[in-house]
Amino acid sequence: MTQPNHAHTALNPLSDGEVAVVFAGDYVNKLSGQRIERECRLKLESGYRALVINFKGTELVNSIGVSILLGVIDIAEQKEARVVFTNVNRHTVELFELLGLTRHVAMAESDDAALATLSEFAAPSPPQGH
Amino acid sequence: MPDKKSKTRRILGHIAPELFAGREAELREITSLAAHTAGPRSLLLLSAPFAGVSELLRQSYDKLFAQRGGASPIYFSLSRGDSTQAAARRFLHTFLTQLVAHRREDPTLIATSPTLRDLLELAAPSDYEWVERLVQTYERAREDGDERALVRACFGAPQQANARGARTVVMLDDVHLAANMSGEVELGAEIAQAAAQADVPFVLAGLRRRLADVLNGTAERPRLDGMRALHLEQLKSVEARSLVEQIAQRAGVALNDETRDLIVQQFEGSPYFITALVQSALLSGTALTSFREFQKLYVDELMGGRINRRFNSVLEEIVPSVALRRNLLRVLHESASNVGGKSPVEAWLRRLVVEPLELERIMGGLHMRELASFHTTFVETSPGAVWRDFLRVSYRLQVAVEPRALVVADTLVETLKRAPQTMARHYRREAALKLGDLLERFDFQRVPASLLHYDRFSRMYRGVPVEEVSAGLDAETDLIRLPQVVHTASCASFHPPILQACDEERCAVAHGFDSSSYADANEVVWIAVEIESKLEAGRALTEVWLDRLAQVAQACGFHRVRLCLVASEGFSAEAVELLNEREAFGASRQQLEFLTARLSPGAAAESTGGNEFVMEIPMGDDTELIAAHTVEQIARRMDFQPEAINQIKTALVEACINAAEHSFSPDRKIYQRFRLENDKLVVTVSSRGLVVNPIASENGNSPANHSNDNEAGEGAKGRRGWGLKLIRTLMDEVEFERVDDGTRLRMTKYLRK
Repeated sequence: MTQPNHAHTALNPLSDGEVAVVFAGDYVNKLSGQRIERECRLKLESGYRALVINFKGTELVNSIGVSILLGVIDIAEQKEARVVFTNVNRHTVELFELLGLTRHVAMAESDDAALATLSEFAAPSPPQGH
Repeated sequence: MPDKKSKTRRILGHIAPELFAGREAELREITSLAAHTAGPRSLLLLSAPFAGVSELLRQSYDKLFAQRGGASPIYFSLSRGDSTQAAARRFLHTFLTQLVAHRREDPTLIATSPTLRDLLELAAPSDYEWVERLVQTYERAREDGDERALVRACFGAPQQANARGARTVVMLDDVHLAANMSGEVELGAEIAQAAAQADVPFVLAGLRRRLADVLNGTAERPRLDGMRALHLEQLKSVEARSLVEQIAQRAGVALNDETRDLIVQQFEGSPYFITALVQSALLSGTALTSFREFQKLYVDELMGGRINRRFNSVLEEIVPSVALRRNLLRVLHESASNVGGKSPVEAWLRRLVVEPLELERIMGGLHMRELASFHTTFVETSPGAVWRDFLRVSYRLQVAVEPRALVVADTLVETLKRAPQTMARHYRREAALKLGDLLERFDFQRVPASLLHYDRFSRMYRGVPVEEVSAGLDAETDLIRLPQVVHTASCASFHPPILQACDEERCAVAHGFDSSSYADANEVVWIAVEIESKLEAGRALTEVWLDRLAQVAQACGFHRVRLCLVASEGFSAEAVELLNEREAFGASRQQLEFLTARLSPGAAAESTGGNEFVMEIPMGDDTELIAAHTVEQIARRMDFQPEAINQIKTALVEACINAAEHSFSPDRKIYQRFRLENDKLVVTVSSRGLVVNPIASENGNSPANHSNDNEAGEGAKGRRGWGLKLIRTLMDEVEFERVDDGTRLRMTKYLRK
């Protein structure tokens, strides 16, 4: 599977209509963070109940990126949606731990593992289309 | 093309060119002005008294005169008896005489004082027209009684000559005397203007305490812009020794090393005094091979020789009245006898019986010649040994009216008794560690803590070969961050009584900051002293010095103080205990030598083999990634572990973001240095612009952060400003410094394999 260079979304076939996967891209900074935030907001507004943010190929996350990710978690909480981070490399995990982000979000090794985690906690509900 | 091989003959020089020594660099600089390529660049020659500036200019003249075909040298000295108009007239006359003499290659003309009409006739045909016009302009201004026009016509002559192809180098001596000339125009300012406007190089020389003021006059805008200042100080010991040797050898005066060194020390490197003495030895046929012969000659000079005449002439110039001058001698002598040579202005007024304005004029004269310093409320007689000897002798002869034979005998005995002390002081000074210079180099550098703690150093390195000590110091991780010193001076400058306990150069006071923020809380004063002890300094001696320095700090009102004691062989265990109790540093001479080597300019580059990369990136467009990839490559070369490499990259990214966000940088650039040292990588990130302390802005406390919060993303509100916290966590050492016009972040990561 080709990894995208920038954040974009994909529908997960296993939970179509309920879980959106957002790719973080290779560098999570202010610009790409805002892109992730926008994508997530749009997904939530279109009825998705869970977000998987995939960090595969993410080389660096800076502190602005982390602050935006925390904002995404806040937004999701307000919408009673769940967020899971997947494919986060060891260094980025350490960074998230350092900045307290791991206290607010579940981490999974892959998207499949993320779906499994989500199914444990969330009862599926239909998307609220506009 | 000037013929540089032409033999210089004495024309204006008071001594033969071959006897002139010790000012080679200055002579070269002045004579180089004659080269066409030098352009019109002018020199401001700020001289200390008795530094030999007039002879330097006269020798320059002779040397330039010998360079046939080049620019014509002009030497003119202002005279204290001149009015402004007289000085201008004399200058024009001197200018034309010396110009014609040089162009005719006839130096004898200079001594003949031809009239302006004579000069017109003697001028080369190509010069005739402009010389005639110049003379006419001058005469018209004189007839009109227009002083300004006359002064400008005279001092504008070099420019007129240059416009007609007669290039000159104009050397004006004793320019400070322009201050006291009677006339309607400010002569100093007119000279400065003539020099600034001419396409001809000028050398404006005079006493350093007055020259710039005289040339600037009352103008609000400095007239000296673009002039290069050349400071003529007394000679350093090495140069002065060479001067004594050369002139004694050329004059055929026998000299030995001991006497040579005493001459240098007693005359404090003054070329004027040295030359006067050797010439006196030549004339009297005296050999300078013993202290006794030298001091006899010196006393003769003081009593009635060239040195005596020079001081007398200066005093006569300042105070023409004989009675008042005698009074002045008395007051100067009494003041010199006080502690520190100081006395209150009121005492001077009472003793001299003069009006305040007259006292101010007298003080101005003494101050300009550095015979005394005027400090509004008190007067300080200068401490120069020759000046003080002259005062003592003159006081006894002229005021106390003691028999001359007695004064001669006493002075000779005293100077002979003083000679070994003078030399001993010189040797001690030479051997001193130059603590002031060392403190100046601190500049926030980090040094192994063992270098300032004798016990640790002794425990780790006593008996260890020097190379191993160096390696050991390199490997130490317990480091002390030194302050940045902004001013150093001898302790005696702050607290003269300390001189009773040690030589001036052995105790230094350094004012500085121990953090890059120039704030009250970071202000610190270091007082360092080199104490004399053949063995390890004991507790009692250490206590005496700690108390003494604490008293200095108290007397001077220093608040935060670090004391540093240096004893040649270090400190006993009991003394170390006391040093630790008082939180003072203690070091041996060896430690200080290691410290000096580490703080020397270029020491860091030497220790790392100059392994440094420098990079400059524009702010924005994710350029921090380029920096991160660069540092990754560098860290890989150093065999850092992947985890550490990621930490360095993240820290660098944060530093770049910080620089971009907080600096309001005018050039929008981030400057980076990556220095590879044996066991660490030092990354420095700096930027120009507004200084916003990221420490204060951590976790979104600053307004700057709040404004960025909105930009970062809605959800990010209140969560910004983690950059420095992250950097501190990821790196081993982090220093945030304010620097001139910006900030600098220095991050260090140690190599752990």
